[in-house]
Formats: sequence, C-alpha cells, structure tokens
Amino acid sequence: MLTLSLLLGPPLLASCLSILVRRHARLVGWAGVAGLSLSFAASIALCVEVVTGGSATAGHALPDLWHIDALSALVALCIAFVALLASASGPGLVGRDDGYDEAQTRRFRIFTNAFAFTMLAAVTIQNVALMWVAVEATTIMSAMIIPLRRTKASVEASWKYLLICSVGIALAFTGTVLAYFDFVATAGDVPGSLNWTALRAAAPSLHPELLQLAFAFILVGYGTKAGLAPMHTWLPDAHSEAPAPVSAMMSGVLLAVAMYAIARWKAVVDAAVDPAFTCNLLIGFGLLSVAIGVFSLVIQRHYKRMLAYSSVEHMGLVSIGLALGPLGVFAAWLHVMNHAVAKSTSFLLAGRVLHRYDTTEIEKVTGLLRVMPWTGPLFAAGVLALVGLPPFGLFVSEFLLVRAAVLTRRFWLAGIVLLLLLTAFVSLLGHLNRMLYGDAPAGVRVGERGGWAVATLAVSIGLLVAFGVALPSAISTLIHQSVAALIP
Amino acid sequence: MSRFLALVVQTLVAVALAPALTGFIRWLKARLQGRRGAPPWQPYFEIRKLFGKEAVVSHTASWIFTATPFVVFSTAVVVASLVPLVVVPSGPFVAGDLFAAVYLLLLGTFFLALAGLDTGSPFGGMGASREMTVVALTEPTVALSIVALALNAGSTSFSQIVAHTLAEPSAALGSEHLLAFAALFIVTLAETGRLPVDNPSTHLELTMIHEAMVLEYSGPYLALVEWGAALKLLIFLALAANLFVPWGIALSFSPVALLIGLVSLIVKLAVLSAAVAVLETRVAKLRLFRVPELLSASFVLALLAVMSTFLAR
Amino acid sequence: MNALFSQLVMLGSSGMLLTALIVLWRKSVPSYISAYRWQAWLLAAVTATVAYFAGDRQLFAVAAALVALKGFAIPALLRTMQQRFGAQPQIKPYVNTETSLCVAGLLVMFAYVLARPWMAVTHLPTRGGLPLAMALLFVSLFIIVSRRKAITQVIGFLMLENAIALLAVVGTYGVPLLVEVGVFLDALMGFLVMQIFVYHIHETFDTIDVEQLTHLRH
Repeated sequence: MLTLSLLLGPPLLASCLSILVRRHARLVGWAGVAGLSLSFAASIALCVEVVTGGSATAGHALPDLWHIDALSALVALCIAFVALLASASGPGLVGRDDGYDEAQTRRFRIFTNAFAFTMLAAVTIQNVALMWVAVEATTIMSAMIIPLRRTKASVEASWKYLLICSVGIALAFTGTVLAYFDFVATAGDVPGSLNWTALRAAAPSLHPELLQLAFAFILVGYGTKAGLAPMHTWLPDAHSEAPAPVSAMMSGVLLAVAMYAIARWKAVVDAAVDPAFTCNLLIGFGLLSVAIGVFSLVIQRHYKRMLAYSSVEHMGLVSIGLALGPLGVFAAWLHVMNHAVAKSTSFLLAGRVLHRYDTTEIEKVTGLLRVMPWTGPLFAAGVLALVGLPPFGLFVSEFLLVRAAVLTRRFWLAGIVLLLLLTAFVSLLGHLNRMLYGDAPAGVRVGERGGWAVATLAVSIGLLVAFGVALPSAISTLIHQSVAALIP
Repeated sequence: MSRFLALVVQTLVAVALAPALTGFIRWLKARLQGRRGAPPWQPYFEIRKLFGKEAVVSHTASWIFTATPFVVFSTAVVVASLVPLVVVPSGPFVAGDLFAAVYLLLLGTFFLALAGLDTGSPFGGMGASREMTVVALTEPTVALSIVALALNAGSTSFSQIVAHTLAEPSAALGSEHLLAFAALFIVTLAETGRLPVDNPSTHLELTMIHEAMVLEYSGPYLALVEWGAALKLLIFLALAANLFVPWGIALSFSPVALLIGLVSLIVKLAVLSAAVAVLETRVAKLRLFRVPELLSASFVLALLAVMSTFLAR
Repeated sequence: MNALFSQLVMLGSSGMLLTALIVLWRKSVPSYISAYRWQAWLLAAVTATVAYFAGDRQLFAVAAALVALKGFAIPALLRTMQQRFGAQPQIKPYVNTETSLCVAGLLVMFAYVLARPWMAVTHLPTRGGLPLAMALLFVSLFIIVSRRKAITQVIGFLMLENAIALLAVVGTYGVPLLVEVGVFLDALMGFLVMQIFVYHIHETFDTIDVEQLTHLRH
C-alpha cells in the first residue's frame, strides 16, 4: 500500500503544487523532479516485491481497485523512469534560456506531472472501465502540453491528436461496454465484474461472437492510442510538434500503455475464443504498422518525425510479438522496455539538437559530431539502438521476436519483418550520416559543455547497452512473470 | 347499404369535399397572416366560373394537352374509391391496393408533365422538368413508407393495414409508425405542390413548379385540373390520417358506421389541413436545389421506419 | 408493462438518432447545438425510464447529472463558442447533404446487421435500443469525419459520447456508479479541452475550417 501511494502520489502532488504555487518556480520544478525520483524508487520496490513475492502483490492491503502483477510493475517501472528523465530535462530548471516563458513552464509542469500520474494509474488499476478513464485522461493531459508554443503547426497537430485519439478511445469504450454487456447477460450484475481477473475467469462462458466484436472495437480503439496503422496519422504530427520531454513521454511510454491495455484484453478474449483470431488481427495491424513506419522513414525530411515514425514501426513489432506465443510475448515486453529507454533518450537528445540548430530539417543539421561533441555521439547511439544494432538491447528483443516467428512456423512473417527492418536500417543510417558528418552550418555555435543533463542521457544509453549485453536476471524474471500473467 | 353504393357515395363525397379542403387551407393561411381571406367555399365559385368560360387551346398542342385534364381528374376519382376515406374498401369490387393508389396518382402527374411540354411554352417545360425531379426523388420514399406499413400488417391491402393498426393500439405509438408518418407527410407536401417545396399561390413563373405546368390551361380544362389537384391533396391527407390514426373509420356498411366515418374523416382532414396551413405560414419556400436535401431526409426517415419494422419482428 | 417500457425506450433512442441526422441535414451551427440539447434531454429521459422500470435508484442520479451537464452546461458553453466566432462564411462539408443522409441510412442498416447477434443474446426489454445506439455511434463518427468546421466536429464527438452512454444504459442498465462518475469527468474535461482548442485554432488560423490545417504533411 505504501509503495503504491509512493508511486502514484508524488506526480499528483507535484501537479497540484505547480497549480497552487506560482513563485519560486525553479524550486517547484525541482520538487517535481524529486517527487518523480521517489516514484521511480517506489516502482523499483514494487518490481522487487512482485519478483520475490509471487505474481501478485499483497491483495489484502490494497483496496479492490488496484492490482499489481508483474506486467503492471514492469510497465510502471518504464513509465516512472521515462517520466523522471523527461521532467529532469524540462524547461525552467536551470538558469539558461529554454525559449519558454513562465506561463508555459508552469503549464508544462502541471500537465506533465498529471500525465505521468494518469499513465501510472492506468497500468495499476484493475477495473477495465476505470483503466479506460485513466487512458482517456492521458489523452487530455498530453494534448494540453503539445501546443506549448502556440504555432500553427503545433495547434494543428494537437487538434488532430485530440480528435483522433478521443474517437479511438470512445471506440475502445464501446468494446468495453460490449464485453460488460456479454458478462451481465451471462452472469448477471456481480460487483467487481469489471475487473480483469473476473472477466478472465468468466470468459469461457461468454459468447465468442460478441467477444470477437468487442475485441475488434478495442483493438481499433486502443490501437489508435498505440499508433498502429492505419490509425496512426496523428502520431508523426503530435510527436514532432510537442516539446522534447513531452515527445519522450508520449513516444516512450504512452504507446506502451495502450499496448498494455490491448494485451490485457487479448488475454481475456483468448480464454473464450480461439487465439488464432486475436493473433491474426494483431499480426495484420502490426505488419501494416511496421511497413508504413518503415516506408515513411525512407522519404523523411525532419528528424523528429523520423523518430516518430520509428515509434510506429516499433509498436508494430510489439503487436506482432504479442501474437507469437510465450516467446513472442517475452520478446514484445522486452522490446517495450528497451524501446521506452531508447526512444525517450533519443527524443530528449533531439530536443537538444533542436535547441542548438533551431531547425527540424535533416539536411540543415550537419556536422553534429563537431558542433555538439557530447550530444552528437549519444544521438548516434540512440538512433543505432533504434535501428536494432547490437550491442543495444533492441537487438536482443528483435532477435527473439524473429525467433518466435520461426518457432511458430510463420517463416513468411519472419522474412517480411527482417526485410522491413533492413529497409529501416538503411534509411535511418542514411539520415543519421547526413546529420553527423559535414561542416557546421553558419550561425551555429560550435562546442558544448558537458553537464549533468547530458550525463543522465549518457547513463540511459549505458542502460541500453547493459540490457543488450547482459540482461539482469531480476528483469528477466519480471518479464517471464508478465508472460505468465498473460498466458497461463 | 350495398358495398357498391357505399363506395360510389364515398367517391362523390370526396369529389365534393375536395375544393372545400383547398379553400379551408387558403382561408386559414389568410387568417394566420392577419387578413380576412376569401370564405372556404370560394373554390366552388371558381370552378363554376371556369366551367362557364371558353377554353383556348394552342395550335401546336396535341391530343395529350386536351386529354390530360380528364386523365388527372379520372385517376384521382378512381383512387378516391380505392382508398379508405369513409369506409375501408374490401371485397370483390376492389381491384387495387396501396401501390395501385399511389401509382395511379403518379399517372396523372406524368400526363400533366407531358401536357406542360406539349404546348411548347418555356414555362411549361420548366415546370415539367422540375416536377419530374421532385417526383423522382419522392418515389423511393413513398415506396419505403408503404413497405414499412405493409411489413407490419403483412399485406399492402388497405383493409389489412387498417385492421392491424386497430388491433394493436400501442403500435401506433411505435417509432416505425411515427417515422413512416413523418416521411409520408413530407412526401405529401412535395407531391401536392405545397410549401416548402412549391408555393401554390405564387404569381412569379420562375418560382412555379405545379402552376407552371398548368399555365396554358383555361376554361373547363383548368377547372378539371384544379379539381383533380384538390382531390389529390384530399386523398393524400386522408391516407395519412386513416392509415396511421384509423379510429372512426367505418368497417361495415351500416348507415351509422358510415356517418361516423364521414364525421371522423372531416375532423381528421380539418386537423391535418390546419397543420399544413400553419406549416405553410411558418416556413419559406426552399430553393430548388435544396429540395433534394429535404427529400433525402424524408427518404432516410422512411428507411429508418423500415429498419424499425424489421427489428420488431 | 414491459411492452410500454420497450416502446418508450425505442422512442427515446430513435429520437436521439434523428437529432444526429439533423446535424447532417441542417447547415447552421445553432441548429446543431439545439439538436445536441434535444439529444441530451432524450438520453436523460431514456435513463430515467430505465431507472423507473428497472428499479435502480442510482440511474435517477445519473439522469439528473446528464441533464445538468449535457442538457444545460455544455450547450451553454457551445453557444458562447458559437457567438465568439461570429459569422463564419458558409463552409461546405466534405460530403454534401444528400449523400450524407444516404450514407447515414446505410450506416443505420449496417448497425442493424451488426447488432443482430447481440439482440439474440439478451432478454432485456430494452434490447431494441441496441442497434439504434450502434447506429448513433456510426452516424456520429461520420459527422466527425465529414464536417469541416471544428465546432461541428466537437458536436459530433459529444454525440459519440451520448451514443456510448445510450449503449451502456440500454444494454446493461448502466455501468457501476464509480465508472459513471469517471466517464462524466472525462467527458467534461475532454469537452473543456476541445473548447480551448477551438479557441486556439481560431486565434492561430483566423478560421475554424479544419481544411486549413494542412501545414503538416508526411
């Protein structure tokens, strides 16, 4: 109970603090960072608790609303980590000019903390409808901070995001109501009937066609939030126009939260319907996402949009992984974790590049290695990690994914995925090359002081290498337990 | 009273009442607009006057021009005998049902359009093409409303439909009934040339639809055409009333039932024509290219009525 | 008794669907706002009817909250928004009126076909409203996709929320109260944020025609 309140409380309190206290802005900002580090520590404690204590935390201490098993703990860990990283890179913390005024900085703090709170709530609540409420709240909170600087592009991006994701979420609620409708029609109105555990237990007695239809709605709905094609059209705009810390949170973990919801529902529906149904749907959407993400990477001209499309591709890979049996699910969640770290770091580094070069176009950013001797190599490392090169963690998860495809005798899928990953490799590397080498453009200050901000990002990259070379056994156990929670 | 006689009397009553209906609507509109207006029986005087005048026919007109008024009037009279006005027609003398009634009326409209073209006058041609546009758009709606009613009753014959509604009073409140009624009401306004589709009292030729087609008629021909149009309005309004609110209609041929049927018909017609008059006072005429929007809306209403009917099974 | 219950619910649900059709038919934003207000009142009426016949007291509270929030507050806010933007030039929607209405008819048919298996599953007297709720859902989606004024898209989204609320009431006699409260809060917050965004769009672009929002491509 204590760990849970330490997990959820600090972001909420930090948000309220930012609303109420207007002076001593920098102090408030640092208080928020401190709160999120407390959350991060709590999430680590929760993971330890789950790994040692079995697949569910002490239920008697928690009210019936919350239920934390291995999967929740894993995703909560990713969320807390990325939130901490993003908030530490936020504006107004150090004296230098970030380009945001006081009102914008305050709005940033209020809504980023609220955003982190709603994401954490979404993965720890076990009532499906309240989880939905939390996911809808994440849309609203994040939409408020995308147009931090009110330009035409950012207003357009945030309007598309808000409308498309709200519609998607409404469809997901329709699916939820349909499943609940089936439950009530079969079993009557039982208290606690909207909890995962109850739905899963009752699933074999529910009607297959209804659940299939409900899952279709849910996949389309939460898939819109997760950036699966063809509902991904909001993603490149929103993720590229948002300020870098917000993009990091959205790309890194918000997509993962949506995939979490889909995975939970898949477990429920698979108990009633032949798993081939959900697997085929997930593979279909996933493959489409990977294809569209990769091909959009080829013609890309803005580096932030490039990173955004890479998210679409990776979420497609996760979706495919969820459909490939236990090894695939393991690979999927490992991929989610690695991607959260890699993508958030890359976006934060891209933010630094944007601040220095003042342009988002790839061809106008040249000589990165010389202009920013700290950020440049780190950014290169981030992009190489996203491409899936060893020794970074994403290589391991992608390898396991392909292996899972082969093990389940879907050789064609393995082949197509490998081909698409190769295309992504070539395009991303091409873009990266153009950015790293060459002469510095006129008017851009050369040279960079190292600071603690860059140091934290270097640590993240180091984490990625660590995950790739030697995954700590605790994390491995945690992911195994998550798989067991989904596939009994 | 024998069936045949009752039907003949019903037809004569309808023919006699029709001009009064149009007169009543005109009088009510005048009162609503703050004028005194001509008395409700003014159209009788107009018809008598027109019968006494000489008919002038263009040299270029063919037999269609002279035949059309008779076609229009006679089809309306035949339909008046088929449709449940005072009494529900049933038995061996009745040769048609709902489809027959509607499409006989359409025959009259078709001939009227031809006559508009026949004289070669530009306004006639314009009126004919506009009327055909409107009619083409109302046809699907009429068919669907009929289908909605018939599905419920299991047959398109009037007696069945009326009997079904009388047997199940709560069905009259049902959404399919109300939707079909709304669709049929809009269609009535369109087919009989009332606002908001067509202004029956306009003098500006470019705003006319029905009036433009009959612009060339004079004397007895004009009298027949006007009477036929009035009869058509009575039939449509009586259909709308008796199919959806059938209480009061005579089910047997006893004099008492017939009298009650007549009185209830007059009451229902008065209510509906008052509604038409109020509507005409409130809305403005739609521009021609907006008419399809109104008619699509009525089509969707009829479609929803059919959907609801399927659901109720 | 059950027949009356069924008829009333069907009447209310059909009314809600018809108000959505009004948005496809009419062209002026004040008429959309009136249509939405009617829809909200009809939803509250249906909820109260279910509360009365099913004997569920909580639903009365839900109906009251619906009237307060969606029957009064949101239309008032919409009207302020509408007055703020003054006279906007006639912005043609992406799909014209006749086609929109025909597409709406097709969507209603699709919803009926989709809802057939569900109606067979349940024995609730309100099951006739299920296809109507789904039809309202699809028509609202169509409104969002085919209209060009940002404020109309917001109204389409609000109608989508109404459709889901109707689905919950008709299919399961409402969801647990806690969920209901959460969904209400979400709806209110979502609407407020959308309102803020329409203001932003107007300030930045000087129009609320979303066709102008085309800066971001590829």
